[in-house]
Amino acid sequence: MDVIPQLVASTLLLGGLYALIAVGLTLIFGVMRVVNFAYGEFLMLAMYLAFFAFSRLALDPYVTLVLALPVFFAAGMASYHVVMRPVIRASHNVQVFTTVGLSIALQNVALVLWTADARTVRTEYYATTVRIGGAALNFAQIVAFVVAVACTAALFAFMRWSYTGKVMRATAQDRQASSLMGIDTDRVYALTWAVGIVCVGVAGVLLAPVYPVYPTAGLQFVLIAFVAVVLGGLGDMAGALIAAVIVAAVEVVGSYVLGTAWKEVLYLMLFIGILVVRPAGLFGQRGAEALGT
Amino acid sequence: MKKLIGAVVIGLVAVTLGVGGVQGQAQLQGEYKIGVLQPLTGNLAAEGKRHLEGYELMRDLINERFGGVMGKKLVFAVGDAPDPTAAASEATRLATREGVKIISGTFSSTLCGAASEAASRQNVIYWETSCVDPRFTQRGLKNVFRTEVDGTGFGWYNVEFMAKHLAHRLGKKPNELRVAFLSEDSSYGQSVTEMARKRAKEEFGMQEVAAEYYAFTTNDLTPTILKLKAANPDVLHHIARNQDAILFWRQAREQNFQFKALVHAGATGYGSPDFGKAFGNDGNGPFALLEPAPGFLIEKLRPEGQRIERAFREAVKAKTGSDIPAGGHQLAAGGLWVLKLALDAAKTDDLDKFRAAVFAMDIPVGSAINGWGVKFEPNGQNTNARVQHYMLQWQGGKMVTVWPEEFTTERAKWIPLGNWDARK
Repeated sequence: MDVIPQLVASTLLLGGLYALIAVGLTLIFGVMRVVNFAYGEFLMLAMYLAFFAFSRLALDPYVTLVLALPVFFAAGMASYHVVMRPVIRASHNVQVFTTVGLSIALQNVALVLWTADARTVRTEYYATTVRIGGAALNFAQIVAFVVAVACTAALFAFMRWSYTGKVMRATAQDRQASSLMGIDTDRVYALTWAVGIVCVGVAGVLLAPVYPVYPTAGLQFVLIAFVAVVLGGLGDMAGALIAAVIVAAVEVVGSYVLGTAWKEVLYLMLFIGILVVRPAGLFGQRGAEALGT
Repeated sequence: MKKLIGAVVIGLVAVTLGVGGVQGQAQLQGEYKIGVLQPLTGNLAAEGKRHLEGYELMRDLINERFGGVMGKKLVFAVGDAPDPTAAASEATRLATREGVKIISGTFSSTLCGAASEAASRQNVIYWETSCVDPRFTQRGLKNVFRTEVDGTGFGWYNVEFMAKHLAHRLGKKPNELRVAFLSEDSSYGQSVTEMARKRAKEEFGMQEVAAEYYAFTTNDLTPTILKLKAANPDVLHHIARNQDAILFWRQAREQNFQFKALVHAGATGYGSPDFGKAFGNDGNGPFALLEPAPGFLIEKLRPEGQRIERAFREAVKAKTGSDIPAGGHQLAAGGLWVLKLALDAAKTDDLDKFRAAVFAMDIPVGSAINGWGVKFEPNGQNTNARVQHYMLQWQGGKMVTVWPEEFTTERAKWIPLGNWDARK
């Protein structure tokens, strides 16, 4: 019984990390209906940014975070215009191949430039642990969790109450109708993609003090982020956050009770089970999975 | 008199050439090409590239100072094998397009099976220098040879160290040791762990208090650590892949999990330089079964072993600036050196004649790189007892050789490990 506080804490912290990664993905997925397989590689690039800023310029990752915002917004805009824009009206197959191609290209560029060594950002506080009620919480993970909640809330508010958010939601619901209403959908897509990439940039920088970075570091997070996005209801920010915590809970509790080898089986079974019962995900509107297609 | 002078001159030239032959001063007749297959992209590329560098260092050494192979200059056709499918297709390409008769590689246990099957279909010799999957030599293939021990050898040595060294340092008999086994779930991790579990239980009666496998891409090992902590082991036998070692060590510290010793095997996980870079002095304490590191007494080797070991270390120093070769360098170079010895003995790459020459080799421990010897078993496996291994420990942010003690100047520290902050 004395492990319960730790299991709860681990669930929240891990769920926070997954949510932080999922939030940008759900934006891109929800608005553009593009399955961005290169998402994990942008995460990896952000982790490298934090690593090099720390090792070469002695910049703390939380300072790098501020730098990452414009850098990843620019990277998002550039990658949209160069890679995604030509295929944005093509079939899903073409988009999947494009993002997979971008993913492989970015991985291998990282491999050539920085080798496959696992690199670590060892800050002064990397081993700092906060102990609350019998649970030990890693400081950097607490920060990531707080930022995840803040990012989700900010994006939720942005989508719900801002004019641009409303335009994005309109584009998500019906691309052609929104064009007819005078919305520049191309601009909406570019902005959505760039904001999504900024989110993953923030996630990557915050992950750097917690996990080592290497060229395929994004892969181990992005599959789970996809699960959280679909489970939460495509494009639903709060849904993705809650789904990320659910996935983390299944992973943590399953690892403890049944064994670590079972964790992926458990959360993917849960994923399949929920989609059978609710194809639009836990919080998605009925039919949302088919919108915009 | 002129004849005498002429004879002396001819004799001197012959002696010079003879010495040149030994030293390999560019007297090589033509080229001999082999295929080298390593993961140079993807998840395993860090070690794959280190291995390739080891091959290249030894190739240059063989060509420049040791007479090439079969009197010819050794050259490589390199293939990239990031996954088993690519390993098989690249092995086929090397055999059919490059026309090689020998392929060497492919350090990972996830790759060597597929690569050697493909090589077998092309009737090409497959010379493995590093993968430790026991199944590699248990398939009845006539074309496969392995210079490194298999996973069971790693497990065997780890338990040897626990029983013969750790137990008495912890003030216990081997059958009083409480051991928890934790491993990533690849065939490498499983083969090392299962052999260690078997030998620990059957031969020494050690108490197994936990056994857990996990995928190396796991993002949180805290639940596993909580279970292991409750089991209260003396020794944690942990086989890790790479980033999972870094994650485990950090989270074990967060949870204040105080095991008394951690034992690993192989050039990944705790055996990788990445672990030291991640933690510096905070990574002091874990043991990793590997090839020799600082502290190794080269003068304990046989003269021919000392000669090649010193030449190899000079080459590594010139290439990398480091006095100490990395584990991947040692396995690749050690294996390629044995291949040279085999080819020089066989004088051909005809499979039957090559096999006969390989099985006829009987070279004692201490004669080759890493203090290895050579005596192949009928299944193509270099005998475990000839592939001398060493226990290294992270001390002061570096790995040093601590066991067997007769081969090293360094000694194992922090047994038991004690508090996380007290291992400086």
